[in-house]
Amino acid sequence: MIAAVHLSTELSVWVSALLTLMVFSFLYRDNPLYKIAEHVFVGVSAAYWMVVGFWTTLWPQVILKLAPAAGRVTHPDAAPGTVDPTALIPLALGLLMLCRLVPSWAWLGRWPTAFVIGTTAGYGLVRYIRSDFIYQIRATVGHGLVPTVDGRWLWQESLAALLILVGTLSGIVYFINTRQHRGAYGGVARLGLFFMLVTFGASFGSAVMARVALLIGRFQHLLGDWLGLLS
Amino acid sequence: MRRVADILVRAEALDRRWIYLVLAASVCAALLSGLYFPDRPSDVVRPIYDHIEALPAGTPVLMSLDYSPSSAPELEPMAEALTRHLLLTGHPVCYVSLWPTGNNMIARVVTRICEAEFPEAAEGRDWVRLGFQAGGEMFINSLRDSLTARYATDMGGASLSSLPALSDVRGLGDFGLIVSLSAGMPGLKEWILYAGDVLEVPVAGGCTGVGAPQFFPYYPLQLVGLMGALKGAAEYEAALAAGYPEAVPRVQRATQGMGPQAVAHVVIVAFILLGNLGLWLARRRKEGA
Repeated sequence: MIAAVHLSTELSVWVSALLTLMVFSFLYRDNPLYKIAEHVFVGVSAAYWMVVGFWTTLWPQVILKLAPAAGRVTHPDAAPGTVDPTALIPLALGLLMLCRLVPSWAWLGRWPTAFVIGTTAGYGLVRYIRSDFIYQIRATVGHGLVPTVDGRWLWQESLAALLILVGTLSGIVYFINTRQHRGAYGGVARLGLFFMLVTFGASFGSAVMARVALLIGRFQHLLGDWLGLLS
Repeated sequence: MRRVADILVRAEALDRRWIYLVLAASVCAALLSGLYFPDRPSDVVRPIYDHIEALPAGTPVLMSLDYSPSSAPELEPMAEALTRHLLLTGHPVCYVSLWPTGNNMIARVVTRICEAEFPEAAEGRDWVRLGFQAGGEMFINSLRDSLTARYATDMGGASLSSLPALSDVRGLGDFGLIVSLSAGMPGLKEWILYAGDVLEVPVAGGCTGVGAPQFFPYYPLQLVGLMGALKGAAEYEAALAAGYPEAVPRVQRATQGMGPQAVAHVVIVAFILLGNLGLWLARRRKEGA
């Protein structure tokens, strides 16, 4: 319901409301106000990430482990723990990563990069094969095409299971290029293409819905938090 | 008739800024009029509500707020509705985040729901803020056996062993449910791959509209349920309002947004139809000329 205008008295609300309007001004055309908002956003984001990175990673995972007494800076009453020299390993790898900034030492940066890629790939391979391959195959064919409850045939579930199975198989056929897409085989491939087009359409629709939700969020902020027009 | 056709043909060259203006005006009008449509939980959202209802009393639930302010309009209503539900049913909530912006997102939910709507609830007993830790999937991996592997204290500096909410929790497997509200990577997918499928602990999720098509294949085998975009949040709010009519208002934040959402969709579809009609008419005239 529409309420009387009741402007916010909070500075943070005014700043965010004005920055929102400055960003919206780009929809008319590029202008200095939009540029200011853009630069403020980039600067604040970089600073935020740096501060959060220091206090959530460098401080507890490196500094406190190598110099536990430093913990008294934030918690004066806390009893210092013991020194953990294993923290030197990620510290060394992190410093090697910074070597990329010096062209003649850049090759040293390959070591931590190789470590990160190798570890992530090693961990990820098993998980992805299980969750995104085996479990997905089970989800596609494992429930059966004719599910029943108490002897009653669930036709909606059956139709959904059939659609998923046909869509998956025909989609795979579309990407098999070692045989020409002709005749009945070509028909199955075209069906796979049709399923993919529907999927892309649904994805695009979801993306539009998401953007509209963000627009609504901004207007809820402007009309509600800033102008006090929403009850 | 010819005049309407002329307008439609000319509309093909309509300046896009008119479309923005009409869209903004319709969203504002819908918001100001308080327009909303009653919703009901779908088969994908309902199981999350039912799972929480069926949890034994006092079972802690882990909620990972893996998003930033840019996607908060879609995901924050989910966090608020879930927090309301968990506090109403007496399940302690443990907030973590895989995103650096997560600490602020946690603070907003705690301020708006835990402190404002449940003044009798207490931090440490009814909710715990563990906050952001770097590492993504490796971070989840390290929490599997012990939370203290990555968290010595909560965000307020209290030792985990002193928190009643986590008295029965050692690792991720001791939570009754893990919920990830995810705007990208790392997020829900990592919780499914590195926690749910490994420990067989139930995982539920909420995601942005952009990410929803990616996550639906995980339901129901690997996900208890999924809230997709503002619509999913509104469905969960509907389930909560129906289950606790005395404690929860009928129109909550996501439900409030669904009226403008529907109006905006109608406007977009109308412009698409008019644009295509104009194009078709222009082509027909060209062919006839």
